[in-house]
Amino acid sequence: MKPDFYDVSEMELTGSTFILDNGKLEEISGTFSAGAGIRALAGGAWGFTITEDTGEIRKAIEHASLLAARTQERTPREKVTLAPVKKPHLRNLPVVKKDPLDVPVEDKIELLKDIEKALRIKEVNSTSVTYSEIKARVHYSSSEGVDCEYKSVRVGFAVSAVAQRNGTYQADRESRFSVCGFELFDRYDAREIASEVGGRAVALLDAKAAKGGEFPVILDPELAGVFIHEAVGHAVEADHVLEGNSILSGKINTQVGSPLLTAIDDPTLHEYGYYPIDSEGVESRPRVLIENGVLKSYLHSRETAGKLGGEPGNARAQSYSKPVVRMSNTFIANGSSTFDEMLLEIRDGVYLIGSRGGQVNPGEGIFQFNAKRGYMIENGKIAAPLRDVSLSGSTLEILHNVTMVGNDMGLHSGRCGKAGQLVPVTDGAPHVLVSRAMVGGSG
Amino acid sequence: MINPGDAGQALRHAMKSGAEEAEVFFLEGRTVSIDIKGTSIELARENIASGVGIRAVVRGAVGFASTNIPAKMKKAAEYAVKAAKVRASDPEWKSLPDTKEFPAVEGIYDDEVANIGLETCLDCAVAMISGVSEKKGAYPTSGSFSCSRSKQLILNSHGVEIKDEETGVEAAIEAAVSGNELSTALDFSVSRHNDIDFRELGASAAGLAVSSQGGKRFEAADVPVILKPMAAADLLENVFLPSLSAENVQKARSALSGRMGEEIAPAELCIIDDGTLRSGMGSSRADDEGTPSQRTELVSRGVLKNFLHNSYTAGKYGIASTGNGVRLSYLTTPAVGIRNLMVEYTESDIIAETSRGVVVNTLIGAHTANAISGDFSVEGRNAFYIKNGELVNPIKSVMLSGNIFDLVKKIDGAGKDKKAVGNIITPSLRFGNMRVLG
Repeated sequence: MKPDFYDVSEMELTGSTFILDNGKLEEISGTFSAGAGIRALAGGAWGFTITEDTGEIRKAIEHASLLAARTQERTPREKVTLAPVKKPHLRNLPVVKKDPLDVPVEDKIELLKDIEKALRIKEVNSTSVTYSEIKARVHYSSSEGVDCEYKSVRVGFAVSAVAQRNGTYQADRESRFSVCGFELFDRYDAREIASEVGGRAVALLDAKAAKGGEFPVILDPELAGVFIHEAVGHAVEADHVLEGNSILSGKINTQVGSPLLTAIDDPTLHEYGYYPIDSEGVESRPRVLIENGVLKSYLHSRETAGKLGGEPGNARAQSYSKPVVRMSNTFIANGSSTFDEMLLEIRDGVYLIGSRGGQVNPGEGIFQFNAKRGYMIENGKIAAPLRDVSLSGSTLEILHNVTMVGNDMGLHSGRCGKAGQLVPVTDGAPHVLVSRAMVGGSG
Repeated sequence: MINPGDAGQALRHAMKSGAEEAEVFFLEGRTVSIDIKGTSIELARENIASGVGIRAVVRGAVGFASTNIPAKMKKAAEYAVKAAKVRASDPEWKSLPDTKEFPAVEGIYDDEVANIGLETCLDCAVAMISGVSEKKGAYPTSGSFSCSRSKQLILNSHGVEIKDEETGVEAAIEAAVSGNELSTALDFSVSRHNDIDFRELGASAAGLAVSSQGGKRFEAADVPVILKPMAAADLLENVFLPSLSAENVQKARSALSGRMGEEIAPAELCIIDDGTLRSGMGSSRADDEGTPSQRTELVSRGVLKNFLHNSYTAGKYGIASTGNGVRLSYLTTPAVGIRNLMVEYTESDIIAETSRGVVVNTLIGAHTANAISGDFSVEGRNAFYIKNGELVNPIKSVMLSGNIFDLVKKIDGAGKDKKAVGNIITPSLRFGNMRVLG
């Protein structure tokens, strides 16, 4: 059965993970994997197959075509028109300066042990340091004649510390992952980061649980980055828009937030969310989502761009799974305020720092994030430390309530788990002042 | 493709490369799944995958590698041995499992599910869609149906050889109603057999979305909160169960550490893990490292009785593993995890018995809570205000917060609506007093 369209994403991965637990090398594991994901389109239905035998790709294309044809026959769906794409060019690929495979295993272990020592300060009673490296070869081809291949290397580490006193436990963690080789450790001082994490876990023992209520707040770059990814980014994913599951549906070219706000998704940045072509063979490019508070663009796959109008380039998949509309490196652009100016402006409020993750209902436009920690702000000064503090509310209200945007953008790497698939992303922002927001806490 | 015959070869190669003990975990699976988008089926999928995870032990140190490429099998075995050698000796390692007697476990494999055809899968998905559409004003936003069969083989150098075949069916559907405001609700179901009423599942999600329309604000208060099974399981899984893992106890990451034999919950509450439960989603003859499955009382009449162990954590304490070595795939070493976790409490008509309170169907953000301290602050979805034993009105959105170890002591009721939420089987639970912010 001849499909209207098919494509093949092949991937080969070689990776290693090291886990140092309480100073003890708990795990070294390696993986060698290969496979291909094949999509076929018949009318409005997709067929999808995964094969791990790259000699069987022809057969897998036929099977995907059959799945698509029979699904379209059983439940006819409106014909999908894929947005046309130009032949991609691979430009500005990251250059690996230190191949992680050239660094002896013993040296890596030594480094991790050093990092752990920095993490383990007085009252820290549990630590974890993990390191991972992964090399991938990605090959994309389609029935439209696109045929493209690139290689990538991703390296990163995460540190976490648990502090304990009289049965009270508090934790902190940080991670740095990027598209690069072992030179990541030249870019970031992992020992310094570790000693800060240990210090913060201990400091949280003296922090008080936050009192819930409405307050003016300052979000640090990490939490503001999580907000822009979770609350805004997911709402501009065109699959959510088409499902009627986005608060930003139908709002293109309208004011959705403070004129101080500009938000961008940029897969070409050499950060953790980087890709040169997306999982549909579309060359990547930066995209302005919100400009001066006006919603400018959704993020698209070829299918959603074909339906809604717009440009594709944000279809991504975890290894060889089915591509889904996803973000890459998403951030709020720098404004002009300094942190000190924000403190003076806010006078009394709450400073929320970091994120232990969050969840969002993009359709209703409500969200909830737990900050790692925070501080009360009193009289324009940082006051008592807070623990177990959260931020929740309505996405649009927060966007409109932004009254100052900082000039100190910071990026944080992470993994986004939409549709059950983990893909590397980076979120970022400068400090952001929000005039009113719901702060949650048990104090 | 890697096949079960390759597993023996990988084991021999690991031993030949210098392992003192070795284990090969082989997993092969086929999944047929359907994605629902709006009122139509967007995609039909078939995945076939197989691979091995190889553990090699040298002087108590474990190395691990995995692969799905037959030509890389030897390389993976050598990597595992090399990784073990580079680690320092671990005096706390005892040994890989060596028991060769396994319990009989029923109801985890179903021929009909194993051999399901695409047409049947499409029918199930269509039934969910029409179940939603039956409710006036409701429409499906997304959903999925999947059917899988898997074959697992564990071989180790002590002569353990245990094979299991399993099937599973999973269905999930989200329904929405767009009146003056959008309200959504989710329902899902899992089974070893094709015995889910798909139309009813769709109707249930749609019914909840409809009744959630017109939510009112709720004034902040400390009130009894009833968590329906999905919400209860979500909270327990993310904030309470991690503390029952011996791995977390041994790593000083459990607030229940050192509290064995103490009363940590009301005397009516029992929490049991059972890897042999008939038709349980987490049941099989052995865990994922070849330890025979068993039933373990974790909390009995409110008293903490046991922690969950895999062979490593049990070896450290000089006791037997509870059969809770669990892997998500062949890509990882066995961690400590639940098999089928059952929450038991005297069941009654708890809504009717509640004079004032809040009932919550699902939670947002439970995975972001502090699993070590037990402090959480989560959003309750599809929440309703209870007055004089009746649901009075839906609540727009509520924040629930507190500390799980304090709150477990305040459990004072359970509903007659026990449900398998993945591997956690729980009724609705009523917490006598919880902080609720509107």
